[in-house]
Amino acid sequence: MTGPAVRIDRLEKNLGSNHVLRGISLEARPGEIFGLLGPNGAGKTTTLRVICTLLAPDAGSVEVLGFDTRTAPEEVRRRVGVVTAEFGVYPRLSARENIAYFADLSGVLDGELDRRVDAVIERLDMRSFARQRAESLSSGQKQKVAIARAIVHDPPVLMFDEPTSNLDVLASREVREFMVESKDRGKCVIFSTHVLHDAERLCDRLTIIHQGQVVTSGTTAEVRGAHQELEDAFLDLLAAAP
Amino acid sequence: MKATATVFRKEMLEIIRDRRTLIAIALAALASPVVLYVISQVSTRTASETYTVGYSGDLPVGLDLLFSTTGLKLEPVADPAEAAKQQVDLGIVFTPKGLDEYYDPTRQSAQIADIRLQEILSKYDAAKIAASLQQKGVDPSVLNPLPVSVHPLSSPAQAAGNGFLSFFLPYILITMSLTGGLSAALDTSAGERERKTLESLLLTPAPRAQVLIGKTLAVATISFAAALAAIASMLIALTQIQFGPRQGSLPITLHPVAAIVMVWLAVLLAVSFSSLTIALGTLARNFRQGQAYATPLYFVTIFPASIVLFIPDFNPNLAYYVIPILNAVLVLRDAIVHNTVALGPLAVTSASLLVTGALCFYAALRLFTREALLIRS
Repeated sequence: MTGPAVRIDRLEKNLGSNHVLRGISLEARPGEIFGLLGPNGAGKTTTLRVICTLLAPDAGSVEVLGFDTRTAPEEVRRRVGVVTAEFGVYPRLSARENIAYFADLSGVLDGELDRRVDAVIERLDMRSFARQRAESLSSGQKQKVAIARAIVHDPPVLMFDEPTSNLDVLASREVREFMVESKDRGKCVIFSTHVLHDAERLCDRLTIIHQGQVVTSGTTAEVRGAHQELEDAFLDLLAAAP
Repeated sequence: MKATATVFRKEMLEIIRDRRTLIAIALAALASPVVLYVISQVSTRTASETYTVGYSGDLPVGLDLLFSTTGLKLEPVADPAEAAKQQVDLGIVFTPKGLDEYYDPTRQSAQIADIRLQEILSKYDAAKIAASLQQKGVDPSVLNPLPVSVHPLSSPAQAAGNGFLSFFLPYILITMSLTGGLSAALDTSAGERERKTLESLLLTPAPRAQVLIGKTLAVATISFAAALAAIASMLIALTQIQFGPRQGSLPITLHPVAAIVMVWLAVLLAVSFSSLTIALGTLARNFRQGQAYATPLYFVTIFPASIVLFIPDFNPNLAYYVIPILNAVLVLRDAIVHNTVALGPLAVTSASLLVTGALCFYAALRLFTREALLIRS
């Protein structure tokens, strides 16, 4: 059995006077889609931000492929790609230039850069708009740019934070397909969402958090338990949570 | 420093494609020639304008000739005091004892007419006294017992040109070093948060100090280019535009020493202002808020240049050269006026501006690496 790609142990985090994370522990493995579920304000985004080193833990520890986020943040960032709902892009750069910029900053070597960027453009079917300025792209196209820049350095861990919340049906479907494809390539995919239908369809294992604490963890089937739908189990678990 | 080069290239590309920044630089380059042209037109018109003097009473013999050669037109009026309010520029009543003058000091035309009248009257008085003395057999030169021969040590016209430059050039250098890169600075700092690109940028493994250096260098390059463009256009305009009908163009030449000092100061100011405006932009949540934070900086730039305007002979001791911006104004003023540079003030100024830039950069870096940067956005 492979070791965890991401390991969180008793993580605590305060933002100002808010005790946002209160001792969260979880593990996500390579080759799986790991769901991080919870209502708004549960601490999902904060957890992801700690994993990718944007925020530092106040207590507990976070490791990505054996690298501690506190002591080796740059090594962690090299191994992580993040896609969020807010797919900000540089409007005066073309889609390709946006991707190349992040590839360069992510340490892709000069000789490799063009090949990598072209490969990502090809993989996400972006050829038709790759040379267009980002300001003229649709939301779905911008989201593809955001995904491309997150994966161009080929990170083993991919995190998706509510990636479809600003997208139409077609674009959302493409993002979901991409997540499955990434899992099939052996990536560890962490999927944070409050859309339980998506989670039920995509996730191999999941953790539900509420008010900064883990309510339950397990395979999707285990969490669903005797309920017909994950949504029913989710509501029951939240109601029973302290 | 690979990340610095990457960020610098990307920022320059974005700035070049940003109409706001390019328009701001173009307007700044055009502003000086336009303002100087307007000034030249006004000064030419003022100098060649004929002003009307309404008078009553008996005009002394020969005085009318002096009026016509000094750009004053005499016009008989019933009530000079009343006419001086609007109808004419100046009113005079000739009386047996002399003359009464009426003018409205709030009217610029009246002020100019008054100056010309005083010139005429002093010449007239001198001529009358000289004639009277001659009639009595006295040499009129007794009125001028100490004739003065003036021997200027440098060209008065050149000095006037240097004096003009010593105010305008530091002023333009400082304001353009600030405003030329302001839009780019806010775009690269507050703009990152507004566009939601900041998080993605901070997610890359590139060291944040290197990222910030790349941004600062790009903004400094634009500030520097804007300052030089504005100064070059001003210098070209000054050699082409004529001020007044008689004076001709001011002899404007920037001595090589002054030019070198100016370029060096432009570099230091560009780096300092870039760090400062990026720090302010990093505090802001969006471009508009960044502009509000940066507005007080305009006063900082205008104040030191004004000191040179209002106190032209301000010769401070070395301690004054520690004050950022004021020191740049003083060093450049001295270089332009004297065509030399004192190494002590230049060294203190350079050190002061470098330390200011470093402190601003450190502040920007602290802000750029704080968690609050993301949480607030």
